[in-house]
Amino acid sequence: MLLIESCRLTWPDFTANYSLKVPTGHLCAVVGPSGGGKTTLLHMIAGFEVPESGTLAFAGQDLLPLTPAERPVAIVFQDHNLFPHLTASQNVALGLQPSLRLTGRERALVTDMLDAVGLSGFDQRRPGEMSGGQRQRVAFARALISGRPLILLDEPFSGLDPGLRRDMVQLVDELRRRRPVTIVMTIHTPEDVADLADQMAFVTHGEVAASGTPADILQGPLAARVAASILDE
Amino acid sequence: MKLRSRLPHPGNVTALAIAALVAGSFIALATVDGGKPALFSIGPYLIRVLAFSVIQAGLSTILSLALGVALALALARRRFFGRDVVLSLLSITMVMPTIVAVFAVLAVYGRSGWLAEALGALGWNGSFTIFGYPGILIAHVFLNAPFVARITLDGLDLVPAEQWRLAASLGFTPAQTFRHLDWPVLRAELAGLAGLVFLMCFKSFAIVLALGGGPSRATLEVAIYEALKIDLDFGRAAWLALIQLAICLFMMLVLDWAFARPPATHTMRAQVRRPDEANRRLKIIDALILVGGGLFIAPLALSVLRGLRNIFDVVDADLLQAFATSAAIATAAALVACGLALSLASAARRRMISRSRRLAAVYDFLPNSLLAVPPFALTAGLFLMIRPFVDPAMAGLILLPLINGLAALPFAYRYIAPRLMTTEERYGRLAASLGMTGLTKLRIVDWPVLRRPLVASFALAMALSFGDFGVIALFGGAELRTLPYLLYERLGSYRLDEAAAVGLIIVLAAFLLAHVSGRMSHAAD
Repeated sequence: MLLIESCRLTWPDFTANYSLKVPTGHLCAVVGPSGGGKTTLLHMIAGFEVPESGTLAFAGQDLLPLTPAERPVAIVFQDHNLFPHLTASQNVALGLQPSLRLTGRERALVTDMLDAVGLSGFDQRRPGEMSGGQRQRVAFARALISGRPLILLDEPFSGLDPGLRRDMVQLVDELRRRRPVTIVMTIHTPEDVADLADQMAFVTHGEVAASGTPADILQGPLAARVAASILDE
Repeated sequence: MKLRSRLPHPGNVTALAIAALVAGSFIALATVDGGKPALFSIGPYLIRVLAFSVIQAGLSTILSLALGVALALALARRRFFGRDVVLSLLSITMVMPTIVAVFAVLAVYGRSGWLAEALGALGWNGSFTIFGYPGILIAHVFLNAPFVARITLDGLDLVPAEQWRLAASLGFTPAQTFRHLDWPVLRAELAGLAGLVFLMCFKSFAIVLALGGGPSRATLEVAIYEALKIDLDFGRAAWLALIQLAICLFMMLVLDWAFARPPATHTMRAQVRRPDEANRRLKIIDALILVGGGLFIAPLALSVLRGLRNIFDVVDADLLQAFATSAAIATAAALVACGLALSLASAARRRMISRSRRLAAVYDFLPNSLLAVPPFALTAGLFLMIRPFVDPAMAGLILLPLINGLAALPFAYRYIAPRLMTTEERYGRLAASLGMTGLTKLRIVDWPVLRRPLVASFALAMALSFGDFGVIALFGGAELRTLPYLLYERLGSYRLDEAAAVGLIIVLAAFLLAHVSGRMSHAAD
């Protein structure tokens, strides 16, 4: 389980205080208004922001003393996930071996992973030669190949058209069936993942204001507030 | 309406006038003594000048890039108390006039400079000379390494924050960080920067003239000056100028191609911790780079401060008159630069609207191509052209603002042209649908956006002209004296304390103007 308990972060103009539990193997979609603290929550779990107090643990392991590289966490950003001077297969391989000195078996794994995200034959393409959806697939492949059990997706579908968003959601679903991982993803349009997510958290003003099943959040008493916060954007 | 449609666009007139001025001056110069072909008679001399120009520019470029890139990487990796002061110091040296750099080299490394005094205090009685390659290289590296450091640092700052976070998450080692994050930036910047630094050093005048140590060490620019001022050999000057023009234009075309940087696509400036900043070995290396760079740059940059002691002693009629002359020439040069830049940018925009992209590119390239034109040859040619009509004593006052204005035009154009194009993209169709054209469009649509870049380019053009020691070397004397010329005279008579005071005044004025320019160019509309 991912356990976040009273994790407090303070800036001159913003204070966040998060508490959230995500069972192992679940997909938790984080929704809420822009500037409400969704990305900060992910950055804290990944180790880019360190809380002043509170508990942050995954599968019983305290994450707070660990550097980002030591945490069992892989992250996919909204943009700039790929190094533009490396090919798709090299970008994926970074998740296995940052030195890019791969064994034959590791090279085969990279090829398999590109196949799994629907990019067979794209291994020698550079990011500049791929579409936005293809780039996100490469980033997702890198996160999966790292073998880290907790995957964070920061608005991975924004900037993609509705058709591509649907494809990406299906891809995430297929891949997590193949290898059980816990996923926390921030998302702009909750409907995209309403059928896929096991859990949904509504984050606003630096706090998890509510957490439950997608139905609880999207159809319960909070529904109007969630819809209003998203429509406001 | 018919009359207006028949009038040529001011930008077309400007472009033709610039081309005519350059071509006319070269023809006047080449034909003044019957147009005899002087090229073959100067063969060995030309080879020597070219060899020296290339060697000193090459060495200066290698050293400037090495120090500049090392400083940029160390500054990118470290956050320390006083870092902002270091960045400001780098900015000061970027606008430091070359003649002040000459003073700085003499004040620190000269026969009676700080280094000689320090070595003497330690009991060393030997002697060394700064004239020749050592002085030239020190001055060039002092002026160019901070420029390289600032541009490179700006490039490194554009690496998206997400990629730094990714590097931290993937556990990159310092070598992997350099390979995947720093090196792509350096690779993109270095070719263009190397070309630009080489070009500036290849054309170097004041530094080579003052620190070269004799006629055997001359760049093409110095050789043109000597041909005009000492030997009165106009034909030779014309040939040398044509050769320099050809070489520099070729280099600028290459630069234009190499420096085409893709637009930055970062989502946010990187304010994240670099994964390599905790590495102990890098901490030691960075400390050595910063201390070494500081020991090289700081004494030179701060050497003019010794002028504080004498600043009131040097205030006399000569200085006040030189200050007024410099200010007047700088103001007129800035007016010329901004006026020409505005009309050329307007013509380029007009061509873009009418989808004549190639013609628009010609207007864009014209201001830059002026960087390749040797100012001495241009001045001498123009002088020969106006000599029948103007009193020679007045010629300097007419030509100095014109030549300095043309020299500042490429920089003014870079401020003004992109803004003019932006207003067109945003409001062009609206203005067209409302029937706004000409001055009405300029007043209502363009002026609110152009006001700040115009002030910025005006201040920058003034700063460049105020500290310039170029063409004034031809006209300078008892009747026409600018502050840089006064400084040159003081240096020539080894009055270093007075030179320091004059240098300080020039630096303060240039820095103030550059500061205004920077503030205005970065301010929001």
